[in-house]
Amino acid sequence: MLCRQTHVPRIFVEEHCLTRQSPWSNTVLTLHTSAPLRAEPKKKKKVDPKREHVARERLKKRLKKLEKVPPELIPIEDFITPTKCLDEARGRSEPRLPFEESERRALLLKEWSRFKHAQHTAEMEAINLALDAQREALEELKIESEELYKAAIKPDPLVFPFSHEGPCYTPPKPKYDAPDGKYHDITKVYTQ
Amino acid sequence: MSAPVVKMAGRCFYQLYKLSNSAGRLASGKTGIRQFSGAVVKNAAEPWRLLGAACVQRLAVISADQRPLEAKFSELMNQMELERSLMSDHELRLLDDKERLRRRQAVDYDSDEEEEADRDQDIVLTQDLEDAWEQRLKGFATQPRARGVVDARLERADRCLAEPLLLLTQQEVGPERLWMLPQTPWEAGETLKTTAQRALSATPGLDLQTVFLGNAPCGLYKYRMPRSVRDREGLTGVKVFFFKAVVSGPLPPPAPSSLWVRQSELKDYLKPSYLEKIRPFLLNL
Repeated sequence: MLCRQTHVPRIFVEEHCLTRQSPWSNTVLTLHTSAPLRAEPKKKKKVDPKREHVARERLKKRLKKLEKVPPELIPIEDFITPTKCLDEARGRSEPRLPFEESERRALLLKEWSRFKHAQHTAEMEAINLALDAQREALEELKIESEELYKAAIKPDPLVFPFSHEGPCYTPPKPKYDAPDGKYHDITKVYTQ
Repeated sequence: MSAPVVKMAGRCFYQLYKLSNSAGRLASGKTGIRQFSGAVVKNAAEPWRLLGAACVQRLAVISADQRPLEAKFSELMNQMELERSLMSDHELRLLDDKERLRRRQAVDYDSDEEEEADRDQDIVLTQDLEDAWEQRLKGFATQPRARGVVDARLERADRCLAEPLLLLTQQEVGPERLWMLPQTPWEAGETLKTTAQRALSATPGLDLQTVFLGNAPCGLYKYRMPRSVRDREGLTGVKVFFFKAVVSGPLPPPAPSSLWVRQSELKDYLKPSYLEKIRPFLLNL
């Protein structure tokens, strides 16, 4: 920054004692340069590449965010009605039920519900009786011997896993060699 | 799964080891002073003899016959399901074949009118396929469900396959031989479940694979001794603890002095008071 100063440094006065002093000489000679003017010219090498680099990365991030598509959900086969079922040609002609038939059905359903209710109550009662019997046995055992009681209420790790082949319609054939079944596995496997 | 099981089994064995080390409960005759490490003496004045018994069931192998109401209802359900369903591919093919046959047999049949695809087809009628399948099914022989001769023999384990059976053995109780669940007196140093297992293995001629369902007894039968015995031997009475077991593996061959009995036949073999105590945990299952 140039600043006008009227003060004349001594050195100049001594050197140029013979010269005529022009109107500008003072200011020109007393030119004070500020620090930036005195410094080297701006180096545009380091700062700009860094800025550009940062800008490019920001753009890339934004692009990536846009490109991030959530993975497609695997369709649940059971919820999609296959088009075969919507074919009208497959519908049965609905038979008109006569009055007797509908009555018979209604009465049978009611009888069945009564039967099932009785069966359920009987089962619940039987279970409660069995539990009472067990409780009584454990109480008596406790009276008899504490150690035996403790051994009795301990869980048995060898019982589980418990498996038993349930009742079938016909008894098993002795020495029956079942043929190997052939099947084509057509389950669709989805990858995300 | 193996690591925790092994640990628990180890703990079980440790408990048994502790039990076997401590002095057990004395049987009849002596005053019952037990020497468990600091345990309180119980029932020193009135000792009861403890017995372990095994309630072994052979579960049903085939499904029971349907009651009339159940049969009617299942038929109704099938009918209703059929009415509300759509036709399958097989049924559509049947209809198509019927239609084609009808067209061929019509008086004014013109084979050119038939569609290109159908014309060259030699009708392998779906009906023929069905017949072939039925023939194949008939060729497969199944075991009969009802076998009257076998069902009458009580010592056979494969009788009455539709119902669960209970194992009874004949044992001497006092002066008489009675039918009851296999039992044996408890010995010091074992759990009651082990006693029940021993009772089962002690039955002569019985070769059985069983799974005992848990460590806890399922029922109790106790009776007091008559006064003469009580005064003579100092024994108040007897407590029998029952443990439930289920037959696993192949069915055993018949053994002497052991019967496989249905729930309905129990009253012919067991004493009424005994049966009354057993019935709750049999559960008709």
